[in-house]
Amino acid sequence: MSFKLMGAVMALGLSATIATAQDYPSKEIQGIIQWGAGGSTDTVMRSVTPHAEAALGGTVVMQNMTGAVGAIALNYVVDADADGYTLLMGAENPMIYKVMGLGEEDYSAFTPINLLARGTAMLVANNDAPFDDYAGMLAYIAANPGELKLGATGPGGLPSVITAMMNAVEGDLDVIAVPYDGDGPALTALQGGAIDVMPAVLGAAVEAIRAGSIKPILIFDTQTNATLPDVQIATDANAAYATYLPWGPFFGVFAKNGTPDDVIAKLTAAYATAAEHPDFVALMDSRGFTMMNISGAEADAFLTKWQQGTAWLLDDAGLTQASPTAFGIARPSN
Amino acid sequence: MDTVLAILTVFTQPQLLLLVALGTFAGIYIGAIPGLSVTMAVSILISFTFSWDVYPAISLMVGIYMGGVYGGSRTAILLNIPGSPSAIATAMDGYPMAQKGQAGQAIGVTTVMSFFGGLIGIVVLALAAPFVSAFALSFQPRDYMLLAILGILLVGSLSSGSLVKGIFAGAFGIAIGAVGRDPLTFAERFTFDLRLMEGGISFIAVMIGMFGVSEALQQLHNVDKRAVRQKIDKIIPSFSTIKTYLPLSLQTSSIGVIIGALPGTGGDIAALMAYDHAKRVTKNPEIPFGQGAMEGLVAPETANNAAVGGAFIPMMTLGIPGDAVTAIMIGALFIHGLNPGPMLMIDQPDMFWFIVGALLTANVFMLIFGLTGIKIFTKIVEMPRSIIIPLILLLSIVGAYAVNNAITDVYWMLGFGIFGYFMRHYGYPLGPVILGIILSRMLDDNWRRAIISEREDLGRFFEGILTSPLSLTLFVAVILIFVSQTPIWRAAKTRLLGKATS
Repeated sequence: MSFKLMGAVMALGLSATIATAQDYPSKEIQGIIQWGAGGSTDTVMRSVTPHAEAALGGTVVMQNMTGAVGAIALNYVVDADADGYTLLMGAENPMIYKVMGLGEEDYSAFTPINLLARGTAMLVANNDAPFDDYAGMLAYIAANPGELKLGATGPGGLPSVITAMMNAVEGDLDVIAVPYDGDGPALTALQGGAIDVMPAVLGAAVEAIRAGSIKPILIFDTQTNATLPDVQIATDANAAYATYLPWGPFFGVFAKNGTPDDVIAKLTAAYATAAEHPDFVALMDSRGFTMMNISGAEADAFLTKWQQGTAWLLDDAGLTQASPTAFGIARPSN
Repeated sequence: MDTVLAILTVFTQPQLLLLVALGTFAGIYIGAIPGLSVTMAVSILISFTFSWDVYPAISLMVGIYMGGVYGGSRTAILLNIPGSPSAIATAMDGYPMAQKGQAGQAIGVTTVMSFFGGLIGIVVLALAAPFVSAFALSFQPRDYMLLAILGILLVGSLSSGSLVKGIFAGAFGIAIGAVGRDPLTFAERFTFDLRLMEGGISFIAVMIGMFGVSEALQQLHNVDKRAVRQKIDKIIPSFSTIKTYLPLSLQTSSIGVIIGALPGTGGDIAALMAYDHAKRVTKNPEIPFGQGAMEGLVAPETANNAAVGGAFIPMMTLGIPGDAVTAIMIGALFIHGLNPGPMLMIDQPDMFWFIVGALLTANVFMLIFGLTGIKIFTKIVEMPRSIIIPLILLLSIVGAYAVNNAITDVYWMLGFGIFGYFMRHYGYPLGPVILGIILSRMLDDNWRRAIISEREDLGRFFEGILTSPLSLTLFVAVILIFVSQTPIWRAAKTRLLGKATS
């Protein structure tokens, strides 16, 4: 197999892509969802995509491809052709694959079609916990070192980032991190009293808070939250949180780099329309997500900032496998 | 009055009734085909029913769920290939019955008992959901760990023949279950730095291989033998038969509801535990277990269908899924603009009662469809083996691929199929392997959670077990079951009984 032949094959493939880009989509588009059925990413993607299909005039067949914190799905799309017929529907996790030693690829191999929405992190506590607010929790930890059971979902998960943030701002907190395989099981354990406090995404906890089965402690945001306006926000509790906030998990649709520009343009337009659909906006609102609906340079800037902040936070907490500098991730300027 | 109306919503709208019926019918066949799982069908339905109203969408999903859990027993009885993990225990006595020409009778009993178990599950859901969910929530990591140990002790029941080989097979299963990135720390275990091992080995692929492919290979030995003629006169079990198994089925249904209601355990574990329970309490079965004992069919089938109602308990009362299927249904409710959570029962009680009604309807349809198609189904076993064997292989390959749309799973499936064939040949039971895989994560994760919570202090860990009534009960059960399987106990028992009679 000579390089010439390979070049010819590639050129053929390329010209074929150019030829079909005009009438894209001419066949079914595969949407690879990084997480399992029923999870947050799955719900978001399955509710936005039908509106995008309508705008696109094509079919997007969605598949859940789970495993290795979403790396299996990401690698699958990286290995597919950059023709816009295989899309990655993912969450924030790939941005820290490199520093966590979970994979060699991240979203830098992809063009963001749309970053749909971001979630807000918060602390929730078991109803029987001997404190009702953030200051009370810190006092309890100081008085009872190594007693508070804090839920976790493994290194790189939202709780690990929030815990690292708290340690960076408040000094090292002496707590026990009990690992669960997802925030759903951890919130269940929180209600059952197996753990005392859980850093969770607001949308996952809000229904249980409304019902009074768990109590809210702190919201990690710079502004008062519309869904839970009475809960203290992090920057009010300690101004030093402003360095890291706003921060939160996010959901996005991605196409592999090298996808023809007009295909990217069509997809971007379709998902931008879909993300404005009232049903979708209402769903995101009810689950406590903040709509973003950004693409292009704006999305790239968001991804870069997110990656810098999170990677260095985890690195400072000693949770990473490799330094962010090894992958050219600069320390955030402020 | 409103409650009754909400339960009857299904009947007032013919369209809903039709969808439940359609779902149940489809579910039976999806459940019967190894690899096509209810979880998969329901997640496909989320996209498919996106633009529908919420009631029709839920009707279809409930039907598929109910039918699918039951359907797994079909292939287990007829071909010795469980259509779903929750039918593994069913194969152990169902297939021997089919080999004796009693497939029709086996399916008949299974159907009626599944209906009965399903009914118990729904009744508990309707009447006691808040209490059961509060009880399920009180399970701590150490309790899940003890439950997993209880499960592992089932190895004894699942191994016919050598217990040592059974223990080996169980340990092998536990090791298989640990392959891949550990979900708690993301550390790689048994991956040998191979990318394809990172995601772990699909449990469904192993199951299809071990039961499906190895069965097909086994059948090659008697490819020329004529198939057993099936008697199809006594399909619907007599009332007296049902009455005989009523006490047992009540017990195993209770096991099913509780295990189903526990987040993180589902019909598969419920069925295996129920099988073990039946073996323990049935002193003198008419036919020994493993050779076609009716009790061996009744127990797992009542339990796994009761687990359906059980799984809805935490879902409807707390918004916490009881198993994988209810997890997807929670997603579906979100998409349809509802907020599943603790407030759902208070804000929209109609939704709760509608699901109860739909489940009841699906249960009835399951009984009807289950009992009507038996004659055609039993013909499958009478087909020449030269047709059946390629068919099994084809289904196995399609099924393994469909789980995760990954060709790697097909390779695993074929590999484990061949391995399973040799295991059979050397007298190693396959059941414990699957048991090990199912329980591996549950045991490992919860043990670590429990000990981390106690600051890695064994003293505090045992203090926790001894001071919690639930943990203590489970702990005592583990010890009693363990001791009762040792030779010392059996010797002591014979001595005591001997004295009593002399």
